[in-house]
Amino acid sequence: MKTKGNTPFSFQDKTWESYSKGYSGMVIAPTGFGKTFSVFLAVLIDFMNTPKAYESGLKLLWVTPLRSLAKDLAKAMQQAIDELGLDWTVEVRNGDTDAKQKAKQSKSMPDVLLVTPESLHLLIAQKGRDKTFDSIKCIAVDEWHELLGSKRGVMIELALAFFHQQKKKINIWGITATIGNLNEAMDVLLPLHPKKIKVVAKEKKLIEVLSVFPDEVEVLPWAGHLGGKLVQQVVPIILQSKSTIVFTNTRGQSEAWYQLLLEAYPDFAGQLALHHSSIDMHIRQWIEDNLSNGNLKAVVSTSSLDLGVDFKPVDTVIQIGSSKGVARFMQRAGRSGHSPFEVSKIHFVPTHSLELIEAAALKEAVKTNTIEPREPMVQTFDILVQFLVTLALGGGFKADDFFPFIKNTAAFSEMTMEEWQWCISFITVGGSLGKGYEEYHKVTKLDSGLLVVEKRKIAMLHRMNLGVIVSDAMMKVKFVSGGFIGMVEEYFISKLKKGDKFILAGRVLQLVRLKEMTVYVSASSGKAITPSWLGGRLPLSSNLSQFLRQKLALAKDPNVKEKELSFLQPLFARQREDSHIPAEDEFLVERIKTKEGCHLFMYPFEGRLVHEVMSSLIAYRISKLYPISFSMAMNDYGFELFSDSEIVLSNEQLHKILSRENLMEDVLSSINAAEMAKRKFRDIAVISGLVIQNIPGAQKNNKSLQSSSGLIFKVLEEFDSQNLLLKQAYMEVFNQQLEEHRLITAFERIQKSKIIFKEATNFTPLSFPIKVDSLRQSLSSEDLAKRIEKLQGVNVKQAKRK
Amino acid sequence: MKIEEHKIFVKEEALILTNQRAIFWERKKALIISDVHLGKAAHFRKNGIAIPTQIALQDLLRLEQLLTLYNAEKLIIVGDLIHAGSNNEVELLSQTLLKFPQLTTHLIKGNHDRISLQQLQNMGVQHLYQQLEIDNFIFSHHPKIEEKKLVISGHIHPGINVSFPAKKTMRFPCYVVTKNEIILPAFSSFTGLDTNKILDNASYYAFYEKGIFKV
Repeated sequence: MKTKGNTPFSFQDKTWESYSKGYSGMVIAPTGFGKTFSVFLAVLIDFMNTPKAYESGLKLLWVTPLRSLAKDLAKAMQQAIDELGLDWTVEVRNGDTDAKQKAKQSKSMPDVLLVTPESLHLLIAQKGRDKTFDSIKCIAVDEWHELLGSKRGVMIELALAFFHQQKKKINIWGITATIGNLNEAMDVLLPLHPKKIKVVAKEKKLIEVLSVFPDEVEVLPWAGHLGGKLVQQVVPIILQSKSTIVFTNTRGQSEAWYQLLLEAYPDFAGQLALHHSSIDMHIRQWIEDNLSNGNLKAVVSTSSLDLGVDFKPVDTVIQIGSSKGVARFMQRAGRSGHSPFEVSKIHFVPTHSLELIEAAALKEAVKTNTIEPREPMVQTFDILVQFLVTLALGGGFKADDFFPFIKNTAAFSEMTMEEWQWCISFITVGGSLGKGYEEYHKVTKLDSGLLVVEKRKIAMLHRMNLGVIVSDAMMKVKFVSGGFIGMVEEYFISKLKKGDKFILAGRVLQLVRLKEMTVYVSASSGKAITPSWLGGRLPLSSNLSQFLRQKLALAKDPNVKEKELSFLQPLFARQREDSHIPAEDEFLVERIKTKEGCHLFMYPFEGRLVHEVMSSLIAYRISKLYPISFSMAMNDYGFELFSDSEIVLSNEQLHKILSRENLMEDVLSSINAAEMAKRKFRDIAVISGLVIQNIPGAQKNNKSLQSSSGLIFKVLEEFDSQNLLLKQAYMEVFNQQLEEHRLITAFERIQKSKIIFKEATNFTPLSFPIKVDSLRQSLSSEDLAKRIEKLQGVNVKQAKRK
Repeated sequence: MKIEEHKIFVKEEALILTNQRAIFWERKKALIISDVHLGKAAHFRKNGIAIPTQIALQDLLRLEQLLTLYNAEKLIIVGDLIHAGSNNEVELLSQTLLKFPQLTTHLIKGNHDRISLQQLQNMGVQHLYQQLEIDNFIFSHHPKIEEKKLVISGHIHPGINVSFPAKKTMRFPCYVVTKNEIILPAFSSFTGLDTNKILDNASYYAFYEKGIFKV
């Protein structure tokens, strides 16, 4: 390599050295600095020094979270090997690999294999797994920060536990970008290794954040409405750059911006592309290739381009709307100026004027390198039962042999013996402990004690459903004349009628007919609906919310220097005049009376999810003082309680309802935990194999095995309430939905703050976006019969079909 | 089990809609149900999906209680009695039917019913039809419109979204009733709901454990 004139970075040197001494470890370096080659070359160097230690067959298993990453990475690796004059081969195995290639690999493995966590589990589910992994020396987990904190991370932990159980001497190396909890990240990946080392690159990626300012300040900001106006300022940025990626937060937003840019500058036609996860894979591949070759001026994308290979020509990144998290923002910025020491440039385009404060907060976070931690998931029994069937499928396992190794993973270190036995009984007899179902034969226990899968149908269903990525039922979109366009959620299509027009992949399409899981369309023009894909709204991270409060407090000073804050002065002046700008140690509550009724606004700046819980908690606490009913609304900055009757609160009462005392008890009384758990159970049911996913285009549809997670949730609640998977759903509600930890921290902060209670006559700049943008909802803990009783006398109406 | 009733008049006949997923036709002493999907849970278990056994037992117990309470002489099932082939749960049906020697059972063949007449008769289901006509009523598995007659069908497992104050909606299983048609909810509680195929000019009778109400 050195002959090419490249001098290695010190962290690469250190990795090579540690590897040769038999260490496992984790490499932390920014993108573009050759993280990959630190570990990959370490293996090659070790091989060249001690070739006798290596046998023929698979030597290095390389796990990456992204399929699209694998192909180019394999190419780069093969090139390096060829340059070194070695005879190793590098191959890819994932969902895109064709059956012929897979069969060839099963017969004889390449020296280096690139897999996803899913394809790694599928390899473990193969009968010949012992032979496959016979000569393996190193497992590298690339982009570990992307996997940690998700159920795919737990898949890695379990797969590694399998290798530990096999008593193999394998070096395990993680490769990660900087995150807030690096030590924990390493402990999760390497729970058992006595010789482990953390290699941190000293090099830092320089990021320049540039805000795009509107011509004038909207004093009453309105979410989503400003972005469109700013397109005129975005066009010149694109024109001045070689190649640009325009990041949006949702697929709907990316479709809209694609149209906006084309309208604003028609000459973009042919040089502008649209990239998101609903677009046909081949089109996406084509876009990525052309972005690499410099044939495209700009690509509008969602997080689908967050990760992946370098696009060398890209020198500018534009972020539409707040990225809501520091890590995501830096990741996206890093997509421009990819080579080391080049500055990554990112332009921030606010979708409403208040978002400029978020720009200021993001700048601060980038400057101080304050990146969110990724909390690893624990006690995820859905993945464990799936993995146990995987083990049973690939030649079987003995329960007692595996227990200590599963118990050693970070994810299941808290697992009890009873819980383990429940999992075993779930896959063997299907039932709760001690009693089974006679027809149930998922995994059979042989006389030798070996647990195996005997039925072919079960093996097939399991392989088909393996993995932890649960998506909505998707429908293919095709032209009547032939030609595949992309995928759309079934629920979106179910709302359309024949002849309706919608936008996908930047085209206006008219629905012609539905057949099975395919939507047939014809090209059209004119007004059309953009699918509003689910899961679009990302909540504000707690790191960012802290900076946000800090910046807002700074804005109090009319002479503030920061560009974003000084630009927003007219807005802050109005807020100051009508109400108050909270300092860092203050908590603002506004009461506004209008014709419709009484609005109570509070601003914790903790993100939508936390506000959802807080608003129902506060509503519950007020309703304990006197009978009153509320509807609630929220955004990332605050929430609103609205009532048609007067909300009366003394200062003393206000302190009481914002108190930390009895917090979780009150939260549980204020929300419908069962309803939330039911939503969480959706993924759990699929992962644990209780619900068979409908795969579009699959030859066999398992119609007689179709059911919904909601239905199974109901059945289990009624007849098997001790089911561990049900309990997991409730636990996920606590950890993820209620964000128990963050909620408690927030209340502790509020309790220490000075509470400012303001009466306003008009909507203030802070309250207006909540009022306009919000999804209204009410959470109710009343039981069904009570609610229907309430309805009696009231005219019961069928819900409007939207 | 709490039975709540709602009486309706169609084609000069009185029918009792119950919150237990069955209609009682008083004049003929006939209990009418649809989409029993017997053996569904067992079929799931056979394929490695652990669904509790109690669910089928509970459905059959409900059937038994309804037959006893109304002293029914006829049981009309408008299709999808058996979910997928014979299994342990399916055999439980004969035990239930044996307890009612006076009862005749009529099945209108549904898309799921792939079982032979001989097997059905062994289980105590005497008659099998593609479609059955009694007086002004036509019993059919799939919903359809007939001039001058009333079609009683099932198949779609109808459900309805009901909106509550404060913008909250909930789903309920329901009966769909028009001038010419009644669509029954699925008798099996282990079934999903279709809230999409809603007819114009129809009345909907939604129900839950403790009651039945018109939407």
